Amino acid sequence: MLEREKVALYLASRSLARGSRTGLVLNVAIIGLIFTNMILLPSIISGSVDLFNEQTIDFQTGDIQVRPGEGDQYIDRAGTLLETVNRVPGVRRASARYSIGATFSARNRSVSVPVTALDPRNEVEVTRIHETMADGEFFSGGEQGEILLGQYLAGNEDPRKDFYASLGGVRVGERVRVAYANGAVREYVVKGIFETKSYIVDYTALVTWDDLESVAGGRVDEATEILVRVDRDADPDRVKTALLGAGVQEEVKTWREAITSAVEESLETFGIINSISMVVSLVIAVVVIFIVITIKAMNQRRQIAILKAIGIHRSTIVRSYLLQVLAICGLGTLLGLAMVGALGAWFTAHPLVFPDGVVVPRFEPASLVENTVWLFAASLVAGYVPAWRITRENILAAMKAA
Amino acid sequence: MIRVEGLRKIYRMGAVEVRALDGVTLGIRQGEFVGVTGPSGSGKSTLLHLVGLLDPPSGGGISIQGTDVLALSDDEQTQFRLTRIGYIFQDYALVPDLTALENVVLPALALGLGEREGAERANTLLSRVGLAERTDHLPAELSGGEQQRIAVARALVNEPVLLLADEPCANLDTSASAMVMDLFASINRELGQTVLMVSHEDEHRRYFDRIVRLRDGRVEEEGEPGQP
Ligand SMILES: Nc1ncnc2c1ncn2[C@@H]1O[C@H](COP(=O)(O)OP(=O)(O)OP(=O)(O)O)[C@@H](O)[C@H]1O
Ligand SMILES: [Mg+2]
Repeated sequence: MLEREKVALYLASRSLARGSRTGLVLNVAIIGLIFTNMILLPSIISGSVDLFNEQTIDFQTGDIQVRPGEGDQYIDRAGTLLETVNRVPGVRRASARYSIGATFSARNRSVSVPVTALDPRNEVEVTRIHETMADGEFFSGGEQGEILLGQYLAGNEDPRKDFYASLGGVRVGERVRVAYANGAVREYVVKGIFETKSYIVDYTALVTWDDLESVAGGRVDEATEILVRVDRDADPDRVKTALLGAGVQEEVKTWREAITSAVEESLETFGIINSISMVVSLVIAVVVIFIVITIKAMNQRRQIAILKAIGIHRSTIVRSYLLQVLAICGLGTLLGLAMVGALGAWFTAHPLVFPDGVVVPRFEPASLVENTVWLFAASLVAGYVPAWRITRENILAAMKAA
Repeated sequence: MIRVEGLRKIYRMGAVEVRALDGVTLGIRQGEFVGVTGPSGSGKSTLLHLVGLLDPPSGGGISIQGTDVLALSDDEQTQFRLTRIGYIFQDYALVPDLTALENVVLPALALGLGEREGAERANTLLSRVGLAERTDHLPAELSGGEQQRIAVARALVNEPVLLLADEPCANLDTSASAMVMDLFASINRELGQTVLMVSHEDEHRRYFDRIVRLRDGRVEEEGEPGQP
């Protein structure tokens, strides 16, 4: 049996070496491009998902989000809970937040969006909103009468440029009137405008906890959520378990659990797009290999007949074509890997700028392996069919044909 | 050795029927050196094709060394050709992607010989047909006569019990032709190989033990080579 493999290799190596160079280079290039195509879109999607996850963690949920237990509207005794949470191993810092509905007025426009109160000294250790200031500055602590606006809330003078209804391009230093849901009305000076690029976060406003207490008319020991940042190498799931173990009664979710089902669905959609793109690439690969081997075998009909005539088995001949397919795929994959590597370097230096952030394509080793396996499997099938068909021909008929 | 019984090959081309072989019965003994002659189109190549298991007959039977070869499967026939039959085509039929040497080595590899051993055998045979040089050239770079001698070496490399040769000297000059014929004769003598060879040439007659004359797909006469 091994003889057939040896003879197949003997034939395949000679056929590749003595066949058309240009043809071989073209075939390899096509497979390389197909491979790159199979890898690139998934990697951009992976990169987008990474970006989305990062944004979620950095601006919305922290690593872990603690929210009121079922049926409750608020987390009670938030101060004590905050201390408890901060003592749990693996927790780097926790920040209590209080969100309340409000109507904003400035520049003769008015917009209703939630405003979130927070303690800036905790917040800067948990989220990274303070790193995204497009204008002005983040709270340094203890401010009163000042407010931070998200970029979409501040908006543009020209409403056509706005994503949502906005405050008409209000700037740092201008005054904004805020009518709270509890009836209190305050006027704030805009201290800064943040630009996280998250559509949700950038359509809110931030005030300090002191301002919240002035609105509430007394000390506020309630929170609508507590965001937790875990230590650098800590696993959010472990810390979550530790929090529950430490007696936290509220709803505790890791950022992954906190991502809403709508988002999960859109991630699934990405997955479907991914699969479609992979199938299309594979179909192209199959068609290319099928055509390449069909043409090759057709051109070599006489040679195939001669080989059979001198006693080379049909299966050996088919195998010699499959080995050529393997060689083309192997070289194509190597070329593809090189191109993917080059693209990876390029995109790391020049990330793709999307409206919701900067995406660096992420090449997953598992998907590289999976795509390679699929590419080879599909190509082998695509090469087998024509080789098998053409080697079936009657010897004399094929010898006369060419 | 070979028994051919009422062998027929009919080509149908539309309404026209070409009876390339029209009931050939023939017996060839082990070690016999048989010449096949006859006018062009008389069915000589067709007879060799059928005996060489390259084409199925339209009727009749062939047995070689007691094996009913027509009953063999496709794969078994291939194996039979590899191990027992050496075939020299009228048009050489070399593998264009392989060099002269590789063409001769290939059947030996397929038989399970190592590349070095195969090359040794091939080189011996190539020098015996007067082609010790230019063996690393592709067939397209060689003359008709050179290609023909490579085809001869290839047919002999696996020491087949049956050699089928279709005008193996058609493109050779007198000396090369004599070289090939002497090679056949010596193999025929030393190894007891059976040879069935198509030839028109009178100077080959002296090599043959017997001559079969075909005409219009039938055996016209069988006889001693001495008789005209
Ligand atoms: N594939 C084919 N289709 C139709 N007719 C064929 C085919 N092959 C051979 N023939 C016919 O069969 C007859 C015998 O052909 P064959 O090749 O056996 O002759 P030959 O004796 O070898 O002739 P030559 O001396 O010219 O080589 C011829 O009439 C030929 O035209
Ligand atoms: Mg002929």
